[in-house]
Amino acid sequence: MMRTLTSVAMAFALIAAACGGSGPAGTTAESGPKAPDKGVEPAGKIVFWHAMGGTLGPEVNKIVEAFNKSQSKITVEAIFQGTYDDALAKLNTALASKAAPALIQVYDIGQRYMIDSDEIVPMQSFIDRDKFDVSDFEPAVANYYKVEGKLYSMPFNSSSSILYYNKEAFKEAGLDPEKPPKTFEEVADFAKKLVKKDAGGQTVRYGFGPSIYGWLFEQWMAVSGGYFTDNGNGRDKRATKLTFNDEKGKAIFDWWKAGVDGGYFWNPGVDNDGAANAFNAGKTAMYVESTARLRGHINATVGKFTVGTGKYPRPANAPATGGNIIGGASVYVLKAAAAAEQQAAWEFVKYWTSPKVQAIWQAGTGYYPVVKKAYDEAESKEWASKYPQFLTAVDQIRTAPQNTATAGAVLGVFPEGRRRVQKAIEEVLLGRSSSKDALDAAATELNAALEKYNKSSGK
Amino acid sequence: MIVLTYAVLAAASLVVAFPLLLALSYSFMTEAQVTSFPPPVLPASLQLDNYARVFSTIPIGRYLLNSAIVSLLVVIGQLITASLAAYAFTFIRFKGREVAFLVFLSTLMIPWEATIIPNYITVRDLGWLDSYQGLAVPFMATAFGTFLLRQSFLQLPQALIDAAIVDGASRLRLLLQVVLPLSRPALGTVAVYAFLSTWNQYFWPLLITNQTLMRTTQVGLAQLRFEESLRWGFLMSGVVMVAVPTLLLLVLGQRQLVRGLTAGAVKG
Repeated sequence: MMRTLTSVAMAFALIAAACGGSGPAGTTAESGPKAPDKGVEPAGKIVFWHAMGGTLGPEVNKIVEAFNKSQSKITVEAIFQGTYDDALAKLNTALASKAAPALIQVYDIGQRYMIDSDEIVPMQSFIDRDKFDVSDFEPAVANYYKVEGKLYSMPFNSSSSILYYNKEAFKEAGLDPEKPPKTFEEVADFAKKLVKKDAGGQTVRYGFGPSIYGWLFEQWMAVSGGYFTDNGNGRDKRATKLTFNDEKGKAIFDWWKAGVDGGYFWNPGVDNDGAANAFNAGKTAMYVESTARLRGHINATVGKFTVGTGKYPRPANAPATGGNIIGGASVYVLKAAAAAEQQAAWEFVKYWTSPKVQAIWQAGTGYYPVVKKAYDEAESKEWASKYPQFLTAVDQIRTAPQNTATAGAVLGVFPEGRRRVQKAIEEVLLGRSSSKDALDAAATELNAALEKYNKSSGK
Repeated sequence: MIVLTYAVLAAASLVVAFPLLLALSYSFMTEAQVTSFPPPVLPASLQLDNYARVFSTIPIGRYLLNSAIVSLLVVIGQLITASLAAYAFTFIRFKGREVAFLVFLSTLMIPWEATIIPNYITVRDLGWLDSYQGLAVPFMATAFGTFLLRQSFLQLPQALIDAAIVDGASRLRLLLQVVLPLSRPALGTVAVYAFLSTWNQYFWPLLITNQTLMRTTQVGLAQLRFEESLRWGFLMSGVVMVAVPTLLLLVLGQRQLVRGLTAGAVKG
């Protein structure tokens, strides 16, 4: 089923890209759509599309209902629209027939696409109009969603990647359970010690088992201080070339490959859930994934072992400019909505970023609050006392320098980019290609796709 | 020998049914159980928390009802249109029949992705968003079903058709009282196929509905999963609830299919 959906989503993207060729130039805050006049009365009812499935859906509804009760003018209707890809595909259809919502949640890697679509009212124009105070925004989160210095959307669910480890396995292997590895070299070293074999020589526990997930590679590029694309990860200016096939990218591939070949890293394949389950089951002693999975891990391992968290490992020689990227999704106000609806959407967004609401959101989901004041709220404090491991996640983004490397890349062909990098990792781990060749091939292919995208979006 | 045959068949059916049985088993497990290693096959106890949580997260009953209504509408629609079309393509001689049939069949080659936007726009213009007709009507005609029925109609003994005509049967009467009763297996196949494919639709219902009360089962299942907070037991209990009606249909439909296949109208 997923394959069909992906192909549908891609078909829509192609249609959109093809149509964009003759369309107007993309949105910028100076020209292009602006927030409506401050005097415009907000609409009585707006629709908000989101992709928060599973246990997150009820959390979204909870906050939306609280907003509806908090005032009498505006009713927000939150509608679940499938996965991020489905929601985007549906948006494209709806835009073509003027049935779009006022507010929509789009995933992180859809950022450049949304900016280029010329279908949004940049969040920055609301912020500037109302002189809305963003000084308390979590710098790493704001940094991720700023392109050319402007916020085009409002961060909604933000996470980052951290190291998870099994404290009991550490004790068993004679390692200090309070000292997670910090560097690539230490991860390899610890992983070797954590390997456990049965009498028949079969490995029953591997040291480290990251999924083949493009996002993890992007994170490793960032903590290495490396760039995924040129022009400052596409932050200063539109990206024109992929640059992950440098020494830094190669070092990541080589380290990963050596671990898998050496039998102390486990390769679950392109399977994030498989990697997570293997960690829960004790089949791997360490692994890396999103901070949003923390609560799930702690709850799934009650009575089995204690989950430890450490900062995302980096190469020992990584410069101080390296740090983690934020992942997740943000919400956009759509141009197609009436001015009154845009106004109402902005009211909801303002409510959404209030510390109290953000603390409730954090406690309900495990995502980073957008504003730092949220950590002072009772809900957040209670959550932190229940899951102290989350402090690692906060500490990690607080101590990271904020620059274009740690902001992460924005590019029009990011979904394809991520898939292609995964393919390259797979080729290397399975011994079909050398690190350098696989990275070069991926970069060459993506450069062509990016050029095509940039051309068709009129730049 | 019979014992052996049954043993082999039982083993084979176990293999085929394994994913479903595993889903059933997971639906009773706690999250800690699902993720333990080696993965357990049977739940430690029959706890129903997962089912309770599905009920409190999504209106699954309503989704099941919607899917059932839409699937039945599509089944009825397809049986009517396909049998009429197949009858025309088989028993009525008219100019360009073969060409028309080929054109008809060629629509099978058009991927549904290509028609989804035009269909969406049509349905919207008709004001059918968030409605049962919007969910069902676009799927009420079927080239595949027509083809299947035509093949089945062609198999009918010409003597039988001639006899009916000689007895003075009208075209409608011939279709209703002779052709259709003899084509029960093919009709059953078309019906089951139509039901299952409608039941399993995901993107179309997602696209044209926005009201929770108009959504269908597969959209409901999507609502139960999110990668960063995936809970297998919870998801699988939803899957089981959605799969049960289709299983019932297959069990009931199979008898019909087999009986239809073995019934004979002409001797020798």
